[in-house]
Amino acid sequence: MRPGAELDLVGLAGGVVLAGAVLTLWRKDLRALISLLSLQGVALATLAAVLAVHGDDVSLGVVAGVVLVTKGIVIPGLLTRVVRSDPGSRETSPLVNVPASLVAAAVLVVVAYVVSGRFSALFPDAFTRLAPLGLATILVGFFVLVTRRKAVSQIVGLLLVDNGIALVAFLLTAGFPLLVELGASLDLLLVVVVLQVLTTTIRARFGHVDLDQLRELHD
Amino acid sequence: MSATAYLIGVSAPCAAAVLGATLPVGRRLLGAALLSAVGCLAALAGAGEVLLSGHPFALHSAEVLPLTGVDVSLDPLGALFVAITAIVGLAVSCYSIGYGAYSNAGRTTTAVLPAFLATLLLVPAASSVATFMAAWELMALTSLLALLGDHRRRSETRDAAQWYAAMTHIGAAAILFGLVLLAARSGGQSFAAIAAHRRELSMPLRSGVFVLALVGFASKAGAVPLHVWLPRAHPEAPSPVSALMSGAMVNLGVYGILRVGEVLLGGGELWWWLLVAALGVTSAFFGALHAAAGTDLKRLLAYSTVDNVGLVLLGVGAAGALQSDGDRVLAGLALLAALFHLANHALFKSGLFLAAGAVQHSTGTRDLDRLGGLARKMPVTAVLFGIGALSISAVPGSNGFASEWLLFEGLLQGFASHSAATQAALLAGVAALAITGGLTATAFVKAIGVGFLGQPRSEEAREANDAAPSMLAGMGILAVACVALGVVPGVALPTFERVAADGLAGGAPHALRPGIGIDLAAARGAIDPALVVAGLLAVFLLAGIAVRFAPRPAQLRHPRRGEVWGCGRELQTARMEITATSFAEPLQRVFADVLRPDRDLEVTHADESRYFAEAISFHQCVDDALERLAYLPVIAAVVSWGRLARRVPNGSVHRYLAFGFAAVLVVLVVLG
Repeated sequence: MRPGAELDLVGLAGGVVLAGAVLTLWRKDLRALISLLSLQGVALATLAAVLAVHGDDVSLGVVAGVVLVTKGIVIPGLLTRVVRSDPGSRETSPLVNVPASLVAAAVLVVVAYVVSGRFSALFPDAFTRLAPLGLATILVGFFVLVTRRKAVSQIVGLLLVDNGIALVAFLLTAGFPLLVELGASLDLLLVVVVLQVLTTTIRARFGHVDLDQLRELHD
Repeated sequence: MSATAYLIGVSAPCAAAVLGATLPVGRRLLGAALLSAVGCLAALAGAGEVLLSGHPFALHSAEVLPLTGVDVSLDPLGALFVAITAIVGLAVSCYSIGYGAYSNAGRTTTAVLPAFLATLLLVPAASSVATFMAAWELMALTSLLALLGDHRRRSETRDAAQWYAAMTHIGAAAILFGLVLLAARSGGQSFAAIAAHRRELSMPLRSGVFVLALVGFASKAGAVPLHVWLPRAHPEAPSPVSALMSGAMVNLGVYGILRVGEVLLGGGELWWWLLVAALGVTSAFFGALHAAAGTDLKRLLAYSTVDNVGLVLLGVGAAGALQSDGDRVLAGLALLAALFHLANHALFKSGLFLAAGAVQHSTGTRDLDRLGGLARKMPVTAVLFGIGALSISAVPGSNGFASEWLLFEGLLQGFASHSAATQAALLAGVAALAITGGLTATAFVKAIGVGFLGQPRSEEAREANDAAPSMLAGMGILAVACVALGVVPGVALPTFERVAADGLAGGAPHALRPGIGIDLAAARGAIDPALVVAGLLAVFLLAGIAVRFAPRPAQLRHPRRGEVWGCGRELQTARMEITATSFAEPLQRVFADVLRPDRDLEVTHADESRYFAEAISFHQCVDDALERLAYLPVIAAVVSWGRLARRVPNGSVHRYLAFGFAAVLVVLVVLG
């Protein structure tokens, strides 16, 4: 593979991750959100694999496999089960409507590009210049958390943040050490399982999973 | 040798805390108490060697605290405070055996008391900022737990604990800020490094550090206006804890002022010490007045602690001011008097608190208006309380007299000082000393006369019993120490003089002539309490002999016997006797502007005629006017601000997430 092709592939994968995050703001069908998540997982895994080939790093290759399995297959699968138990559920009325969300996403991407100059300056090479993609994904994920009402959307937002963190980590330092990545993946899996159970219980008890209506728990 | 003894002294109470937490119910009290007593003896030996030889020791351990390590060193100034704490701790450990058995002390209470003692022994030996703050905070924490003790469900105790926690936190924050500032500017956090670099610091910086430290340490010492926690916490704490707080913990506030102001910052400017003296004068007057007006035995003792800490601060302030004026001899004398009074106060006040605890446990009340006649029911406790009361009232021959005499000498001779500000401060000091002497005597005449003499005013007081032998032994240790220091103060004074010279930046010349009395060679003044005591005893003895053998007039040959204190009346009931409230009433009238008592008189008239009263009820509450005027508005403002802030988190997850998101964005933009 020629060197430029690797950079292009990494840039493409990173772009796919960010595009997936932005598209999350646009789609209302929860199934579509999960497919986007799965797509992000595959893109991240591809990116890790390319970096592994680039750096002749076996452990990074293993990480790529782990990412593919957890973020590309297992977690979307778990979420699909949640959605299947409540067919036809949509993110009908987000706290910020879709056009405004997209404008906000644009602003967040600009902010990410402006502020991540510092990071890129730390290790000036071709890959680190792509770090703003990851930061933008984190911010958009956070925005999803803040503005979307359904519990599944919240989980998706959390996973977007995590994907963004992983992306920044891959680009800045060529990935976490294997052990850290394994631990983080396991944690994430656990969080998703817990949230899945919680969502199901909330629905069984209250008949809906609109988090904005669950205000009585505060002291 | 001294280092080993000191380390045993600190670790034995720690081990006692572990024993207290783990041993089965029947053994833990005895085990913890004996081990802490051993620790106190060891600490006393270590500190005593440093005091007598004048050779400090220093230890460093890198393992205990991460990053900075622990620095422990004991110089004569610190050793004096360790020694005082160790003696009080010994008595308290002894007392806690009997007290714990009476009060069914729980596991936590048994374990926390030795831990508190260990931190008290540790603070004066800490010799770096990190070690000092760690020890200081540990002391605050353990004392808070000890205060809560077994009464944590009582609302008054919880209230007292909250006040104490808040005041001690504010104080610790001020000290931390000051010391960290000092360490950052001196290029090292060990006390030795700070003291070595102090000349490079600008005077405004030094003044700022001193004021911050003064706020923190004065709140621990209980100086007015930062005293509000003290009259709440001391009465509510279990009596061994009150004794430790009043006899050892408040001392460390004075220690901190001396350590930072003199040893680390080198004396500084005149106004620092005038400020300290002003705090002292205010505390002495305010504390003595409230002690004289109060009717709750332990609250009275607590206010009297405020009073005595005020006298000590007055001496410290006078010493600093005289030193700034260049009079080292009198500065040394004033500091000697302050330190001696501090030691004496520790001895008699912890003894009084222990005796008050015995009374409370025997009768279930601390209200003087419900006590009375205890001298016949609890004779030993009454005698021991009496010795403490005589000492605190500075009756000639007592240790309180010796130190207050020294303080008077220091202040009066300082009039020859050059600066007018110092002269004014000393004049105010002499006035305060005189008026508090009178007020303190009033307070303790009331405590003894109403509490221990006369007839019992309640069923509980009628059925009181003397305390357990271990409790009496604990109080006895302190009473013996009080009497010894009172009769032959000259034995201990050279040690105090060495410490005073060590505590003043630049030292102080030798002023005392050795002997068993006090002989101020350098400052023209001498008194020999042993002779005074011998004279007094001779007078009493002669009077006794004269009464016994003198020929009696005819009407005394067949005396009519009546009730003791019955004034010869046939039918004397407790309701005819003067109560603590009525005893203090004239004083309250005179000082109504300061005390601001809250009175409520309700007269119910008979139906037939307005001229006949059917019932009269009188309620009076003397609360702290300063607290009402200065603290409650601040607390109300904080509470309403808190109410306002509670509207912000409304329970919506999205709002919380938005806060986090906004914070992340702001941080990114600011740093990026």
